[in-house]
Amino acid sequence: MSGYPLLAVEDLTMHYQTRAGEVCAVDGVSLSLERGQSLGLVGESGCGKSSLALALLRLQPENAQILRGKVLLDGVDLVSLSEEEMRKYRWNRIAMVFQSAMNALDPVYRVGDQIIEALEQHSNAARQDMVERVGELYKLVNLSPNFIQRYPHEYSGGMKQRAIIAMALACEPDLIIADEPTTALDVIVQDHILREFGNIRKELNMSMLYISHDMAVIAEVSDVVAVMYAGKIVEYGTAEEVFNKPIHPYTRALMSAFPSVTGEKHELATLGGEPPNPLDLPTGCHFHPRCPFATEVCAEQEPPTVRRGDHWADCWNPPED
Amino acid sequence: MARYLISRTLQILLTLFAFICIVYFIVNAQPGDISNVYAMNPELPPDARERLQNQFGLNEPLWKQFLVYVRNVFTGSFGVSFSFYPRTVADVIAERLPRTVALFFTATVFSFYLGFLLGKIIAWRRGGWTEYATTIGGVTLYTVFTPWFALMMIWLFAFKAGWFPIGKFLDPVLWRDAPIEANTLFGRMMLTALALSIVVFVVFVITTRLRIAGARLIQLGSIVASVAVMLGAWRLTGHGHLAWDIVKHMVLPVLTLTLISFAGTMLLTRNSMLETMREDFVLAARAKGLPEKAVRDKHVARNALLPVVTSLVFSLAFAVDGGVIIESVFSWPGMGQTLVSAAVAEDLPLAVGAFVFVGIFVLLAHLAVDVIYVFLDPRIRY
Repeated sequence: MSGYPLLAVEDLTMHYQTRAGEVCAVDGVSLSLERGQSLGLVGESGCGKSSLALALLRLQPENAQILRGKVLLDGVDLVSLSEEEMRKYRWNRIAMVFQSAMNALDPVYRVGDQIIEALEQHSNAARQDMVERVGELYKLVNLSPNFIQRYPHEYSGGMKQRAIIAMALACEPDLIIADEPTTALDVIVQDHILREFGNIRKELNMSMLYISHDMAVIAEVSDVVAVMYAGKIVEYGTAEEVFNKPIHPYTRALMSAFPSVTGEKHELATLGGEPPNPLDLPTGCHFHPRCPFATEVCAEQEPPTVRRGDHWADCWNPPED
Repeated sequence: MARYLISRTLQILLTLFAFICIVYFIVNAQPGDISNVYAMNPELPPDARERLQNQFGLNEPLWKQFLVYVRNVFTGSFGVSFSFYPRTVADVIAERLPRTVALFFTATVFSFYLGFLLGKIIAWRRGGWTEYATTIGGVTLYTVFTPWFALMMIWLFAFKAGWFPIGKFLDPVLWRDAPIEANTLFGRMMLTALALSIVVFVVFVITTRLRIAGARLIQLGSIVASVAVMLGAWRLTGHGHLAWDIVKHMVLPVLTLTLISFAGTMLLTRNSMLETMREDFVLAARAKGLPEKAVRDKHVARNALLPVVTSLVFSLAFAVDGGVIIESVFSWPGMGQTLVSAAVAEDLPLAVGAFVFVGIFVLLAHLAVDVIYVFLDPRIRY
């Protein structure tokens, strides 16, 4: 299995057919993720982060279509697999922690049974062993085993989130996709869960794709950061490089839109305008109408890739190194 | 739970009282009384007519009659029927009700099952031609003029094809000198059906709960076995052919009722499914690698079932009053026909009695829904 990165996405492109026209939600995205690494995917709402996440599991809605590109997991292209083969990869190799953990549990089944349901799909172990496994998982995420036999409505928000994480860990997947998993929680619970989740992940040597619009959270959990805008990755690099020396004006805007608690005080800059209408994307660099550094060429031609080691961004007017 | 049931029972008694009041006065608001039926008869002298009124207490003021009626109802008596004199209302209802229940209960269960199954499928394959064909067909049957459709069914299957009898409850020629009363036999048939459903239900619950391997086979086998035992037992009684006669008379009305009513459940299921399909736990179920069929049946349909069950139980409640139209077209001697003939014959006690009976059933059905929901939806606790 060596030689391949755990996950390599190559030129992935996904379109939605809508009544108003065709929308390109994921536009030629390429990424790669090593085993045990954590990749933070950041961007505003509607930039295609969640679409990308669903496309990796091939769970895109019916009106969406993967036009081209590959999703290589240990060198196996998931896009070309049959539905039946794909099912074996879901959860077993790639698990997901959903955006709205509150609703990701079926209200009419006991939480323990829902975790067992996932285990049953991917192993032939005896039921007794699966029950034990659920007990282990509950211990791992700091949930009381008394709650295994309870229904989702008896859990608090934070507990549901822990249960969802336990469920994602159940089959010991190689990759966990976490799609804004803590958005609905208050900051303190969010912080706790993030820390614990991060520790468990490192202990089990799992890779993670963490999706968020919150730069602060991304900074906390990621080794590598990818910034997404209008369906494209516009900047990519190690967390350190991206946060210390951002290249793309969009990245800089996102960073200054969040307050720093420990750093020095500065005006919170808000990014003017809205993400572009996906039905009618601006020509050239999609970001140019909102970019303070935009020049004429930005509106006319697609920006070139600026490389600084492994750190790169697509921009016509990058700042001096 | 016990406290809830007690308070609900009290509520039911209160509602029932209000219901009896309304029904009693509405039915009595129609002009005339039982003596009117004889009024046109020149043979009836005026004093005989007066005697008739005195005998039934119809000369008393209405409020006094009402108080007597309410007292009687709460002591378990619905009075005496005028048109079936001297039979009591309860006796007439006891004869008619099982026939109506057998017909309409069966039809409701069939149409619910068919509707849920089709609703599930068309929600899952949205936009395909199956959906359009099923929806158009279902809605056409749902909105078609019922008497015409029933007559067409009779014309096609009874008259042209000759597969089923044209109407009525039984074939009089076959039943001449029969060793058993039709009602007694029918009662036994209903008990058999009840026993059969209980056995099948218990087998299903046990196999699902214990997660026995090959549950499907055991379930199928148990159905086949119990049906075989039932048929064998009926053969041994020697009344098998008579029971079969009644069954044959039931087929066409049940089929007609099922066809004209399944679309209601189907569309409700479809909408409920489409709403549930958007939930995140459905996406989560897919992400877990569950096959599509398991996602559909175990998660989507199971959650979409909740509103559909409510509608099922209410339509079961109304199954006790039968359908005037269907019962008339098929000459089925059930509650619907009884209601009409009682109203025409100015048999007010029977009319009120039949209505009150339906009311009691509807109230009990509401209670049943609440109890069933405890099992269907863990979020509901009393």
